[in-house]
Amino acid sequence: MSSRKTQRTVIIGVARSDAHAVANHLIAMRLREAGFLVVNLGVCTPLEDFADALAAHPDAEAVVIGSLNGHAYEDLSDLPALRAAGRLHCPMIVGGNLSVGSHKDGDERERLLRLGVDHILDDADQIPLLLDLLQAARATPLTGV
Amino acid sequence: MSDLPELDIEPRVAAMLPPWTEIMQYIRKSPKRAPVEVLRAAAARGRPVVQPRCGVGGHGEMRTLLTTLEQRARPGILTITIDSFTRLKQFRTAAQALQRDPAGLNGYPLVTHGWRRGRELNELVDAPIEVRHGSPDPRELFAVSLASGFTSFEGGGIDYNLPYSKDVPLARSLAAWAQVDRLCGVLAEAGVVVDRELFGTLTAVLVPPSVSLAVCLLEARAASLAGVRCLSVAYPQGGEVHQDIAALRSIPVLARRYLPETVEIFPVLHEFMGVFPADPDVADALILYGGLTARLGGAAKVINKTNQESRGIPDADANVSGIRTTALACTDLLDFVRVDEATVEEETYWLQREVAELVEPVLAASDLPAAIADAFAGGRLDIPFSASVHARSEVIPKRDATGAIRYLSAGRLPFSRPTLRRNEQCLRVDRASLSRRLVDEIRSDIDFFLHAERRLRADRAAVETAGPGTAGPAGPGAAAPSPGGIR
Repeated sequence: MSSRKTQRTVIIGVARSDAHAVANHLIAMRLREAGFLVVNLGVCTPLEDFADALAAHPDAEAVVIGSLNGHAYEDLSDLPALRAAGRLHCPMIVGGNLSVGSHKDGDERERLLRLGVDHILDDADQIPLLLDLLQAARATPLTGV
Repeated sequence: MSDLPELDIEPRVAAMLPPWTEIMQYIRKSPKRAPVEVLRAAAARGRPVVQPRCGVGGHGEMRTLLTTLEQRARPGILTITIDSFTRLKQFRTAAQALQRDPAGLNGYPLVTHGWRRGRELNELVDAPIEVRHGSPDPRELFAVSLASGFTSFEGGGIDYNLPYSKDVPLARSLAAWAQVDRLCGVLAEAGVVVDRELFGTLTAVLVPPSVSLAVCLLEARAASLAGVRCLSVAYPQGGEVHQDIAALRSIPVLARRYLPETVEIFPVLHEFMGVFPADPDVADALILYGGLTARLGGAAKVINKTNQESRGIPDADANVSGIRTTALACTDLLDFVRVDEATVEEETYWLQREVAELVEPVLAASDLPAAIADAFAGGRLDIPFSASVHARSEVIPKRDATGAIRYLSAGRLPFSRPTLRRNEQCLRVDRASLSRRLVDEIRSDIDFFLHAERRLRADRAAVETAGPGTAGPAGPGAAAPSPGGIR
């Protein structure tokens, strides 16, 4: 039961080329209200910095990256290389405006998932729920017979 | 190599500039009215001049834009808005973009175009021109602006850093801006007064008025100690008229309290800088409201918005109409409008008290720039929704029932108990129940003027449903009539 007392940690930030600060602050606020320790890396954060933050907070449940300017794919294109180097091994959640630009929404989602993004959310309000689901899945792993 | 006093700039930019004596001569013998004279006249008349924002990449296009706005709307002051590459000193990138696709730039790359073209723009229009940008380090841009003959320059070491840059230390931006201000001091000694405008708008999202005024006062104090003689203090329209009027009228009062007598101060209003209604009718009404607020608050200048705001950078037509609508609100047509002066009085008392509690501990220190950086690091100064890691953004703003912006959480701001209690009383929130809805409520506060738009649309829909001649109440499905009715 004592493990329930340890504070849950989550790392959040905005993608490398994106300077939208308001939604980022609101998401941080919501997660803190929900009891999380929020490591907020803020706007214009390269993927490398998320990897460094995860190394510093290995207990973080997820990395949550916002992208509102339509450049999510370009900004996250280092993900396969970082994962191959043994970094950023925790669930990666991406959300925001993914459909801006020449790629249609569906296409953009596919491309992000192929990069290794684990979850894509349309609505920031779903973040706490998704984190809870991920935690529950870890607590009661579906072990094969 | 440039011989501009006080200013250390990149040798590449310096090498392109004319000699300092030539720049001084050019500014001195310009037949144009200086920005400071336009502001003085506006302040004396009690009617703000209107200034648009405008900037495009290509030189020919910039010429056309300035002349179109001047011929069709006669703003008191014109603007060159600078592109973001130039703001970040990426002059090579700006030059490449200018060659490849000038229309792709989000402003005029003045350093790249150079001072000769700058002078061409200066001489093209009757109105004086201000350079507006967003640079944490504006030294090269200021040098080229001066060489172009522009003696109005926006920004400061806090207000052009924290909202725009992620990781520029305040000590660095304050030091860069101090060079600009010292050069303004040298110019003032020689009889050339540069209007330095401070960007109290900050992040433009629910900025509590006392945060805006405190930041500007600290910058104004640093600038006036460096020798600046003319400061425009810009305040962003929050949307609650008594609070906005109290803030504008407090600017000269606070200036007398905290600034040396050698500096002239002009209050400026930025028409609502937050989420703007998309419906052109509602947008125009908000623009008119902004002009009226500026006039009632005693602003010397108002920066207009356009009814294309929600879509991005406006075209010239929309800008012409935005200038004209704003100017209309500043004529005697609406002089009959009065506000509740007792409410303004009460707002003024508490606002000035909050500002005093924020700035006085900082002003008491001997090293002002260091004290500013320390205060932000410790959260004793703070701005909400900062893009920069050098502000904590622990302050949570919230609108009260009237729409005025209050502190839901003051973070580590050094407010007295009475100040905190006043904010709590204004908000009258049940904190336990609010915590679950907090983010939605703040979002709703950010979208404040979209609610008016929604009501208007519901009213329109109700009219269409009811049809002509139907006098009965709106049928089911129609929204409740808006309080105060827009029509």
